[in-house]
Amino acid sequence: MPNLEGPSTALFVDRLTKVYGDGTHALDALELRIPAGSFFGLLGPNGAGKTTLIGSVAGLVRAPARRIFVFGHDAARDARARLLVGLAPQEIHLDRFLTVREVLVYHGRYFGMTRRDADERADELLEAFELTAKATTKPNRLSGGMRRRLLIARALMHRPRLAVLDEPTAGVDLELRHELWRYLRKLHGEQGLTVLLTTHYIEEAEALCERVAFIRAGRIVDEGPPADLVERRGGERLEDAYLSAMRS
Amino acid sequence: MTTMALERAQRRGAAALAGREVRRVLSLWTQTILPPVLTAVLFLAVFGGALGARIREIEGLPYLEFILPGLLVMTVAAQAFANNSTSLFQAKSEGYIEDVLTSPLRPWQLALAYMAGGVVRGFMAALAVALLAAPFAGGVERPAIAVASLGLTGLVFSALGVITGIWAETFDQHSFIANIVITPLVLVGGVFYSARTLVEPWETLTRFDPVYYLVDSARAGFTGVHESPLWLSLGLTALVAAVAFATATALLARGWRLKP
Repeated sequence: MPNLEGPSTALFVDRLTKVYGDGTHALDALELRIPAGSFFGLLGPNGAGKTTLIGSVAGLVRAPARRIFVFGHDAARDARARLLVGLAPQEIHLDRFLTVREVLVYHGRYFGMTRRDADERADELLEAFELTAKATTKPNRLSGGMRRRLLIARALMHRPRLAVLDEPTAGVDLELRHELWRYLRKLHGEQGLTVLLTTHYIEEAEALCERVAFIRAGRIVDEGPPADLVERRGGERLEDAYLSAMRS
Repeated sequence: MTTMALERAQRRGAAALAGREVRRVLSLWTQTILPPVLTAVLFLAVFGGALGARIREIEGLPYLEFILPGLLVMTVAAQAFANNSTSLFQAKSEGYIEDVLTSPLRPWQLALAYMAGGVVRGFMAALAVALLAAPFAGGVERPAIAVASLGLTGLVFSALGVITGIWAETFDQHSFIANIVITPLVLVGGVFYSARTLVEPWETLTRFDPVYYLVDSARAGFTGVHESPLWLSLGLTALVAAVAFATATALLARGWRLKP
């Protein structure tokens, strides 16, 4: 039996249940395993539990101990798990007292980087995400696409091993979406980063993900490589498999 | 990663967050430092200058010298509280607190880092007031006691600011605590009068106000005059500071009103 909590598994979620204060059952004994180094897509309708799952992994949602493991570290108890996760949330919230460059530098330092390392890494990411010209601008003066890029750059700032991207292309135009795909492929390919991506765009999952999981009502209803899901569920495309999973 | 490396990373993170809070205070100095200094100077001008000449000495001190330590406590308290309650409330309501909540910082480090901004703001404003008042007031009798009293004031009220920032879900709630709890506590804490001169039950009630002990120990530090034993004043306020800090830490650890 593989060691599901060990370093070969980037994320292991073991029967995680989350019930909010108002009684909403967001996650229902959810189980998930994401192999290290994979590009993993999570597809599901609104309210399926995607953001709750991601929030629980990143420390934004309260979760019980011994239910979520990031490279073998308990996300609820071990601060090492936090250092290994880089989160780009769905909603764009950036510190308005800081400039674009400072958003990156301060994030890196909150995650323990030295001032010098954070400065160098920020410059590297500003260049990679074509934000160098906006380095001294406040985030609220950026276009939506630039803010989205900044959010992804911030998630990568402290060199996490698991990048968690919650609908990173929601509301962006087609051109920028393809540009972001290019960045994400590059990061995954060159640096061996494990990526957990949630999206509403089936074609995005098809284009990027090596494995995909369908989530519905707080549970994973099917999971595997896109081709296997299509074969298992019938139909011609991932979209057909997704619709089949949501209806079953 | 070893435990030592993790702890080093956490220390760096806490220092960065404290730096961010102090930087916010300095970059907004016309809102964070200038107004409280002007308010305190007006208090000194009105009570110490205009009215002071008509008020007899209190506890053997000219009125301006009597009220100056309390005004410094009042300045530190109000600014430390306002800074942290506002900064945390803003970070929470605008959502950018998630950058800090996802970091590896421990809850007590988060509390301490947020408190740093409030303590610095309170001390900077108080220092400006003390320098402006220096030509009209006497020297400092026991500097260590004066600094300890103002330091404890900063710790108590910056921790209360963190708690309020976590608790408040609307700007009205945030203002409510400042106006209904903090301001009255400070104003009835013996800044402008000696508790011994009050009739009952006011004298006893004043002694239930923790701010009274901060004012009394600060007065001991600046002028040498005090009403309660120093060990009681400093010990009691250190206890209040420890309880406030522990409460702020516990709320951050639980993620109360920060994490669903």
